[in-house]
Amino acid sequence: MAEALVIRGLNKRFGGLRAVQDVSFTVQENETVALIGPNGAGKTTSFNLITGFHRPDSGSVSAYGREITGLKPHDVCAHGLARTFQVAKPFGAMTVLANVMTGAFLRDKNTAAAREQARDAIEFVGLSAKEQTAARDLTTIDQRRLEMARALATQPRLLLLDEVMAGLNPSEIDQAVALVGKLSKRGLTIVIVEHVMRAIMAVARHIVVLDHGQKIAEGAPKEIVENPEVIRAYLGSYVHPPTPGET
Amino acid sequence: MKTRGLLWLAIGIAVLVALPLVVKSSFAIDIFIRILLFSFIGVAWNLMGGYAKQLSLGHAAYFGLGAYTSTILQVDFGISPWIGMVAGGVVAMLASLPIGWLCFRLRGPYFTIATIATAQALMLIFLKFRDLAWGAEGTTIPNLGNAPLMMQFDTKAAYYYVALALLALGLVITYLIERSWMGYYLVAIGEDEDAAEAIGVNAPKIKRHIYLISSFLTALAGTFYTQYIYFIDPATAFSFSISIALLQSWLGGSIGGVQLTVYSLILMAVILWRPTGLIGVATEAWQRYVTSKPVRA
Repeated sequence: MAEALVIRGLNKRFGGLRAVQDVSFTVQENETVALIGPNGAGKTTSFNLITGFHRPDSGSVSAYGREITGLKPHDVCAHGLARTFQVAKPFGAMTVLANVMTGAFLRDKNTAAAREQARDAIEFVGLSAKEQTAARDLTTIDQRRLEMARALATQPRLLLLDEVMAGLNPSEIDQAVALVGKLSKRGLTIVIVEHVMRAIMAVARHIVVLDHGQKIAEGAPKEIVENPEVIRAYLGSYVHPPTPGET
Repeated sequence: MKTRGLLWLAIGIAVLVALPLVVKSSFAIDIFIRILLFSFIGVAWNLMGGYAKQLSLGHAAYFGLGAYTSTILQVDFGISPWIGMVAGGVVAMLASLPIGWLCFRLRGPYFTIATIATAQALMLIFLKFRDLAWGAEGTTIPNLGNAPLMMQFDTKAAYYYVALALLALGLVITYLIERSWMGYYLVAIGEDEDAAEAIGVNAPKIKRHIYLISSFLTALAGTFYTQYIYFIDPATAFSFSISIALLQSWLGGSIGGVQLTVYSLILMAVILWRPTGLIGVATEAWQRYVTSKPVRA
């Protein structure tokens, strides 16, 4: 298997806060990798560093054999990496179709061709019935679907999904999990940030755990749930040191 | 539905074309010319301010550059304003490059403030450097009587048709842009610049491009206006009220619909009757009811 994304020694500081410290990991082609960790662990910051929204202080990101560190977001997207946002950012005034067409124009400036491409992506995520709805009128899950369709329309090789399941109810989560599985079957490489453990276990083959900006564990889902470091990060340490004077 | 739209469009065009044949009052025609001209500037501004939500209050800069370029070419070199008009547009486009490069580093209200500053700075340049273009006293355009090749006509109706043609040009360009990928990109940038970037939209580049087109069109209006009133000076050419007036014509019409019309009416009402705004009203009430002092000594 070829390497889709290679991240080496990534660092980012915001003032005194070390948001991401020396993080390295590799994503193989056609693999689904989950990035997990408690709040403030640096997951979204890592996404922003990979997709060009932040410039890393040091370290490198390369995708499909090409260095992409420090590129602008639109260049990263043109290189085949599409992302969604933790808080969905639909173009509210546009219809669903127009939203997705805007993504499709990246590969083809012809309106008819872009419309065709957009319709495919909309059908794939199951939004065809709402093609002419204004994006601002969509429900949360449909906004997430729209974000995925818009990202898909740019014809990416690697998809970065930032908490696509936040705010969804259990049955919606099942739908979202099925959709991510479908994307993976289509041959897409996926990096997913997620808090919903049930979803991660269902979709990810490989998990990277961050805590306080550092990578504390990496491996198959089964190894991760038993890893003491990970349990400590999520639940705190179980054994308290004895207090002096106590018998 | 579509044929009905086309029918209304045809009726609208027919009315606008026939208007000077019916209305003979030159005062009324003058008002219509000004309406058409400011609609045209509003259309030019709307490309940027309406679609991409880049609220520039500095379009007077391009209006003035267009006006001065054609006037200098005409008065000093005897070149027809028709050529000067296009030259003015090109000068405005060239000026928009460094101005855009600076201002587009800022977002939101900071962008707006920066654009106001550029228009004011240009006005000061034309005001203070007398060797450049007549300084504060300005100049009159030599009256050649009826000289269509020099953009001078003996009837108001002719000016009316030039203004109408400009507006038509602006609307056709808007229509073409709106239907192309460019229109989608502009609205996307206006809605959410980060999301647009994430799907491959080079936002700074698109903004620079639309700024070029918008400033070119605004400069055409500047040339026309100077030819129409036969006079130019920095205060009229770079007047801040041009920037404001086109904002109002936009507020009152092109994209916002009823809601924005109401806002603009409220805005105007406040300016007319309560120029001190909410703070003024509050201060007055405080003084009247709490401290019981007369409002003005």
